[in-house]
Amino acid sequence: MSKIYGQGENQVNALDNVTFSIEKGEFVLIVGSSGSGKSTLLNMIGLLDRPTYGKIFIDGTDTTKLDDNKISSFRNNKLGFIFQFSNLLSDLTVLENVLLPRQIARTNNSAEEDAKKLLNAVGLENQMNKRANKISGGQAQRAAIARGLINSPSIVLADEPTGNLDSVTSEKIVQLMKTMAKELNQTFIVVTHDRQHFGDVDRVITIKDGHAFEGDLPSEVEVLV
Amino acid sequence: MEYRLRLAKRMLFNKKGSLIGAVLAVTIGILVIHVNFVIFQGLFDAIVRDISNYRNGDILVTDEADYIDKSDLSVVNWFERIPYVEAATPRLSSTAEINMTKNGKLIEETRIPIVGIDPYRDIRASTVHETVAEGSYVFARNSIVLGSNVARDLGGAEVGDSVKVLVVDRNGEDQIRRFTVTGIAQSPGGQGFDYTAVVHIDTLRDMMKRDGETGSFMIKLNDPSKALEVKEFFLRSFPNDDFLAETIEESAEEQLAGFRSGIAMINMIGYFGMMSSAFAIVTIQMMLVNGKTREIGVMRSIGAKRKDILIIFIFQGMIIGAIGAGVGTAAGLGYTFYAKETKMSFNNSLPLEVSYNWEKIIQTALTSFVLAIIASLYPSYRATKLLPVEAMRTV
Repeated sequence: MSKIYGQGENQVNALDNVTFSIEKGEFVLIVGSSGSGKSTLLNMIGLLDRPTYGKIFIDGTDTTKLDDNKISSFRNNKLGFIFQFSNLLSDLTVLENVLLPRQIARTNNSAEEDAKKLLNAVGLENQMNKRANKISGGQAQRAAIARGLINSPSIVLADEPTGNLDSVTSEKIVQLMKTMAKELNQTFIVVTHDRQHFGDVDRVITIKDGHAFEGDLPSEVEVLV
Repeated sequence: MEYRLRLAKRMLFNKKGSLIGAVLAVTIGILVIHVNFVIFQGLFDAIVRDISNYRNGDILVTDEADYIDKSDLSVVNWFERIPYVEAATPRLSSTAEINMTKNGKLIEETRIPIVGIDPYRDIRASTVHETVAEGSYVFARNSIVLGSNVARDLGGAEVGDSVKVLVVDRNGEDQIRRFTVTGIAQSPGGQGFDYTAVVHIDTLRDMMKRDGETGSFMIKLNDPSKALEVKEFFLRSFPNDDFLAETIEESAEEQLAGFRSGIAMINMIGYFGMMSSAFAIVTIQMMLVNGKTREIGVMRSIGAKRKDILIIFIFQGMIIGAIGAGVGTAAGLGYTFYAKETKMSFNNSLPLEVSYNWEKIIQTALTSFVLAIIASLYPSYRATKLLPVEAMRTV
């Protein structure tokens, strides 16, 4: 796929003929310098934006053919999001935030029980009834991970999940994501410019000037086009 | 609780300033309508009440010719057999010249309306006698009650004074009688006989040479809502006479038409006030949407459809409308209660006829509720148009 912003002389190729596939259960890092196009790529995979050319298949569905309502349902059922600033809704409690994707999906069977299990798993069992804006950044990011997992999505997409945290908390969050990925056989695609925090992962895709490369360093990689 | 309603409520209640502002806008809109209603409808109803109590009753019977020659006793008895009728009384009207010597000086007033009444029947059908602030009503043939303005124009006539009254009879001849002032009538608001002289009906008949004739019959009902029914029954019962019968709405139409259009205009101003409150809600909700751009983006990214976002903000409009309508109606009822309990009067004279018009109260509350929902449509629509990826860039 390609993503082009602007027209004529102002045209910018944010992503240029990027092609790759990810298998179920893989923990994939997308790395690159600031402005390289890694967040744009994540937005395309997360169906928050549409590619200018090309197609994105998730679980065999050509997502570029879906209308707005189906995209919303697809995001709700198949994708989980973890953002840099956690983006919990400050008007709700931690538990209500985690429950929200399930409520949007209107599949409330055992929702609260599942949400509490996930909050236990991320170590927030004592914080679940607090307002989201009353917990620390690390706790909020843990809650965001629980929210990302509540609907058992095909892919969890994380955009700079440690970008706003100190190094100790970042380490804990990374370990938590890796543990959850392993325990739940959950696919994670994580965008980060903070490669060293993640250590060993299944795959690394490097984005440079809109092109995607397999591996850590551009000098060592095979171009994914 | 449905998650969209819970979110709508929380978003709104966590922005107390906006909530209070929006609720106040609705409240003030409703309050304006209620205050208008209490004052202007109260004034209108007070005028209807006074015209009915003092002059026309619930039904006014006259004749196509100037005078009714049927026996007043037979007409009154006919009406008083009907269970809905409280009382009926005959009246006769003319104009007179009145003069009086006060402190050696003769003062003369011309073209004074003069009304002849049957005192024992009149006190049952009318409340004019209650306006006689000094002295008593016209229980003797030579007694006269002067309206307070007539008494003033005669140089300050008082109870016990003697006045001369000149009436032109049916043959065009002057008929002069001397009367003793037995009372001065002054009504709150001046709707009574303040500009009129009142004498016994038989005395006036004598002076006008109209023995046994009556100008009109004033019928007071114990259930005014039956006025039309009684009127039609009366006209059907006397098909060969030339009677005219009018309900208070018909007989006072000319006096009331101006007030009616005035009230309609004032109500229109009230509804414009309500419309202004709707614009205030639009502004406040646009601020709420702008303040929640990032949250809207997050919700869209985790799967909320445009319809879900729309419903959340329409729920906010409904909450604002419901609270505003509740508070506004409560404030309006409070004001109405105050006006009723304190017997609020117009211009410190005419006591307003304050009533709880539940149909109007419910209609006002529902209108403001619906307006609040309508006002929330545009901000809600704008919220649905936010693209998640751009909305989340908003800090």
